Amino acid sequence: MTAETATPAAAVPAARPSSGRDWSDAILNVYLAVFFAYLFLPLLLMVAAAFNASPTPSATDWQGFTLEWFRQLPRDQRFVQGLGHSLLIATGVIVLAIPLGLSGALILTRLRSRSTTTLYTILVSPILTPGIVLGVTTMIFWRDTFGVEAGLFTATVAQATFIASYCMLMFMARLQRQDRVLEEAALDLGASPVLVFRRITLPFLMPTILTAAFISFLQSIENYNTTFFAIGSSWTLVTEIGSRMRFGLSPMVNAIGVLFVVLTVIAALIWAAARRRELARLAAG
Amino acid sequence: MSDLIRIYGKSLTTIFLGLTALWIVALIVVPQLRMIERAFVVDRYSDEAARVGVEINRSYTRVFTIDQELDRAAAGPTAPTAPSPFSPSPSSAKPSTPSAFATPSASSGGAVSTDPDRTATLKAEKAELQARIAELEVREKEVKAGGTGYALGNFTSMSAIHAKIFLSTLMYALCVTILAFLACYPVAYAVATSRSSERVALLMLGLVIPYAINELLRIFSWIMILEKHGVLNRLLDSLGLIDLAAGEGMRFVASNGAVFAVMVYAYILFMVFPIYNTIETLDRNQIEAARDLGASTWRIHWRVVLPHAKPGIAVGAVMTFMLSAGSIAAPEIVGRGLHPDWFSQVIYQRFFESNNWNQGSAYALVLLVACVVFVLGVMGLFKVGIRDIAK
Repeated sequence: MTAETATPAAAVPAARPSSGRDWSDAILNVYLAVFFAYLFLPLLLMVAAAFNASPTPSATDWQGFTLEWFRQLPRDQRFVQGLGHSLLIATGVIVLAIPLGLSGALILTRLRSRSTTTLYTILVSPILTPGIVLGVTTMIFWRDTFGVEAGLFTATVAQATFIASYCMLMFMARLQRQDRVLEEAALDLGASPVLVFRRITLPFLMPTILTAAFISFLQSIENYNTTFFAIGSSWTLVTEIGSRMRFGLSPMVNAIGVLFVVLTVIAALIWAAARRRELARLAAG
Repeated sequence: MSDLIRIYGKSLTTIFLGLTALWIVALIVVPQLRMIERAFVVDRYSDEAARVGVEINRSYTRVFTIDQELDRAAAGPTAPTAPSPFSPSPSSAKPSTPSAFATPSASSGGAVSTDPDRTATLKAEKAELQARIAELEVREKEVKAGGTGYALGNFTSMSAIHAKIFLSTLMYALCVTILAFLACYPVAYAVATSRSSERVALLMLGLVIPYAINELLRIFSWIMILEKHGVLNRLLDSLGLIDLAAGEGMRFVASNGAVFAVMVYAYILFMVFPIYNTIETLDRNQIEAARDLGASTWRIHWRVVLPHAKPGIAVGAVMTFMLSAGSIAAPEIVGRGLHPDWFSQVIYQRFFESNNWNQGSAYALVLLVACVVFVLGVMGLFKVGIRDIAK
């Protein structure tokens, strides 16, 4: 049976479907081109408007090339202070989210109990909660319970609530790949659990801790929805950008956008290079 | 618990458990409970409390002006500053600073009113006001003490407009999710099944850059397109469909359609990566086998690729829906803050404009419940567990 049916089946793809596949490949390629144009064109317009002398951000009403909007940026006190606030909050978020996420991951990967699914659900729930709800709950909790008004502190706590969940998922992914034999051997040979943690588990987790800190930093700087509700009368760079976008549009916002785009592209290129190296390493090993 | 202590020892286990407990209690559960509690606390007499408060303030202001007048009268007839002819309208009693009253009265001087009748009426009025104030202050205490209770008022008092905004927000978010899936599935498939690793690297870079660019900037970039003299109106103008010079430009911004279009753009890439991640793990031989056996392209996707991609679709759907339903950035920026047709904006108004935190909490809770229902619905529809959703 196998011999008779296999021959025509193998012969067919060489002849007929290849032309059909060419067609569907062509359609897919055209679609990809349209999709990427859709992704990049608006961003290019925004970048172009940053260099336009027109006092309202516009890509169509061209009034000449200028760098004026970039020159104004460092003189704008609210942007400069907002950046300071953003960095302060991001530092606080890293300090909070890494230990919380790490503790959760260490417990969830080692605890053998039926309640881990419940625990897991609670600990990842902040990721699945709308950002504005996190901002609102944090603001209410700190004011009602401790009389702390919304500000930089509540913004930090609100962000840490869900960023810790992301950190936890990263740590869990790493811990699941850990070879437990080393820990077991060290314990059997009489090392104290603290020593084992410090000398084996922590060094193993170090790369992930650095990645998690970097991701937390970016998430914190970029966050708008949660921060908008939890920050009260203070502001971060991003909430200030948001309020400039709503009231009194100025191409300075585009200039900041250009800086963000440049930083993002650099970070993405680094990420791509790291990914390629990782893939090459996997292919070699 | 014993497995934890065996590996980490008592002290480390205590630290890990303590930190996790802190995270759960102080950051996740208790704040949520406080919000839920507030959602069910109703200021039954909040209107009356406000009314009483205003009347007390007015009465105090009036007493103050009477005192001023009496002082001047006591200073003797030689004093040139005569009392101002007071108006009985309570609105005029608002400015309570002494200077605001003393200065105009000096200019209207001339009418000397030191007659004892006037002083007596003023004194009588003052006594009456003071009695009234005492009465009102008792009432205010009563209202504030007994005025709250657990009830459903914050939910049932949701106006028809707010309920409509809530439902349309969910509908829009659902449409964003479906559109994002339709647009992203071919892209994710193309990247995941691409044979050349250089092509994959390039495509991934093309997806990561716009994904990593700040949400606000992705939203803002569309203002350049949608505004009155923006790209879209120029395009329509050059096509001869409208005449910009004659002021025929369409105001796309501050419309629900614009907010919707921008949201699709802003959150579409949250669908690509989860689907890509799952399709990438599909053994390509399965697709080849299906094709060799004569399955059509549709059938291959329907029976082989889509079932495999289910967890990714579920993650993408949950993220896209949640971000769209809870987005405050898109409606605020595209709507220029003028256009409160998104539920997140209604919540913001309850908290920061109406200063009604209890009803704001109720609205936020409604949004949260809607998102939980959506997550559960997606988990049921795609038959995936919570560990597949969040990973």
